Amino acid sequence: MPSTSGQPDKANVQGLIIRGYSHPFSCHMLFKFPDNAGAAKFVTALLPYLQDARQWAEKPKRMLNIGLTYNGIITVKPSLAGHFFSPSFTEGPASSDPNGPQASLFDLGASAPENWWYKKFATDDIHAGVHVYALTSDDLTSLVVLVANAAEVAGVTELFPLNSGSGRLEQCELPDETVYFGYRDGIDNPDLGWPSDPSNTTPQDLNNFLIGYPPYNPGPTLGDAGVFAKDGCYNAFRIFYQDVEAFENFLDTNAPTVARATNKSLPDARGWLAAKLIGRWYNGSPLILSPNGPDPNTAGATAFSYAGDANGVQCPFSAHTRNANPRDEDVNPADAIIPRIARRGMPYGPPPKPPDYSGDRGLIGLFLVGDLASQFELVYSWMNQNIFSPLFSSDTQDAVLANRATPQADTSFTIPTQGAPVVIASLPQFLVTRGTAYFLLPSITTLRNIAAGTA
Amino acid sequence: MATPLSLYVPIKQDPITQLEAKAAYDGLVERLKPGLDKAQIVHYARLVLIPNASGGGIQAVLLITTFDGPMNPYLKFFWDTPGFRDTFQGFAKLALNPPEPPVEDLTTFENFITSNNLSQPADLYQAYPQTVPKIIQAFKPKQKPA
Repeated sequence: MPSTSGQPDKANVQGLIIRGYSHPFSCHMLFKFPDNAGAAKFVTALLPYLQDARQWAEKPKRMLNIGLTYNGIITVKPSLAGHFFSPSFTEGPASSDPNGPQASLFDLGASAPENWWYKKFATDDIHAGVHVYALTSDDLTSLVVLVANAAEVAGVTELFPLNSGSGRLEQCELPDETVYFGYRDGIDNPDLGWPSDPSNTTPQDLNNFLIGYPPYNPGPTLGDAGVFAKDGCYNAFRIFYQDVEAFENFLDTNAPTVARATNKSLPDARGWLAAKLIGRWYNGSPLILSPNGPDPNTAGATAFSYAGDANGVQCPFSAHTRNANPRDEDVNPADAIIPRIARRGMPYGPPPKPPDYSGDRGLIGLFLVGDLASQFELVYSWMNQNIFSPLFSSDTQDAVLANRATPQADTSFTIPTQGAPVVIASLPQFLVTRGTAYFLLPSITTLRNIAAGTA
Repeated sequence: MATPLSLYVPIKQDPITQLEAKAAYDGLVERLKPGLDKAQIVHYARLVLIPNASGGGIQAVLLITTFDGPMNPYLKFFWDTPGFRDTFQGFAKLALNPPEPPVEDLTTFENFITSNNLSQPADLYQAYPQTVPKIIQAFKPKQKPA
């Protein structure tokens, strides 16, 4: 049951929201419900493995969490059809509404929604996502098989988003917590603490991620939809193909220019350019704290400021981590409350064997927010168009993540130095969106009600 | 890239609603100016009272604005900015078909705006691509020499 103390009861919150799971094996399965009864039967079978957010005495060997799209929700509770959830969630990320999510995501060209999921199914077909985590490969396989069998018995259709391997989104463990392109990932996440005074909350507090708590911005908060969504959190689930060949070629091609401009050796110039793209060295050291090279002492550092780097000499303005979290950088008044996103991503697909870069690989991104539009889509719009800060002289883009086909975008990349800046005339497309779904990760209570047919 | 918003809300025809619509129109710019000045996101904004075809009374209120960036991500900013919330809730109360559920939280506000907006980015002609902060910065009053 939801807590009556004013704070959420972690036994009622799905663990994925608050806890950064470190299980090395995961699989992210997509499903379409046949009807309310089928959904209830399916969720019932999964409940014994559903992980809540309480501290565990011993790490579970295998566990899962469940998300529902808007179409999934109105299948289990048809009375919630209509304008009860936010427009972004109701329409979904593939909507053709010109004012909808795509006005921020700008998935164009190969990334366009009509190309998602290898055209094997439509985004609207997705009703549920089941995120399965395990300590060993065998544990993962056993639970994935159990989930798949439960779906079959309940008449629930599993949707296979990939063309390779099992067709499922399975985590590929890379060394040292890295992702494709070689960077260490998952360093900086909001602390998700509980504010002593909810009216004086900060964007990284849990009440900006969980639905139903002051200042009541994550919604819905009213009526049956408010009851259904209470203690839930949204998951912008996004699959990116990462073009490792394009990325490595970019570094190879531009390293000689950088080497000449900075008096560095070719390998050092290559590493320097890679760090300038992301804002951290490969090992995770932020450029602000370690401007001259990676340092093991700063590899996981999160306490630093951009205020002293108003010219971008230490970290370029368009570096990915500086775009995704500008911290105390000078931003426009309407963007002054920097939203935070809790990221729970992992790589998928087998590593390439250069010079053979064929095969599908990239990032399974779980971007958790209380409000899809003002948190996830706002930060995404910043990455596609750098117009959120007076520091930008033109509509440049995130150096790694942006879609280069965004209208009016300036795809150049300027790296300020103590001398003349290094200017890359045009950044290539490094990522292709393979698919996106917006899920609500409902409370444990809501999932039990769905299983019981009483949601 | 700027986004147009044309919030079109047909209103009830009873005398009280008609008077309230006129009251909303009178002095709206002055009431919203402090918030708009502070926001530095809106290029232009105006409220139009659309007359009935018969010539008597008000058929609808139409708020026309052009602002920087996409629409949905910035709706929370307007909901949280003093002056705007009351204004939009006031429009919703005038509506011939009042939103259900009523505009009482961010989600219902977002739905009210998107349901009544008649514009989309492709409708907009832009003579310049610069954002409001850039324009203000470029045309800051020059200090007179001492």
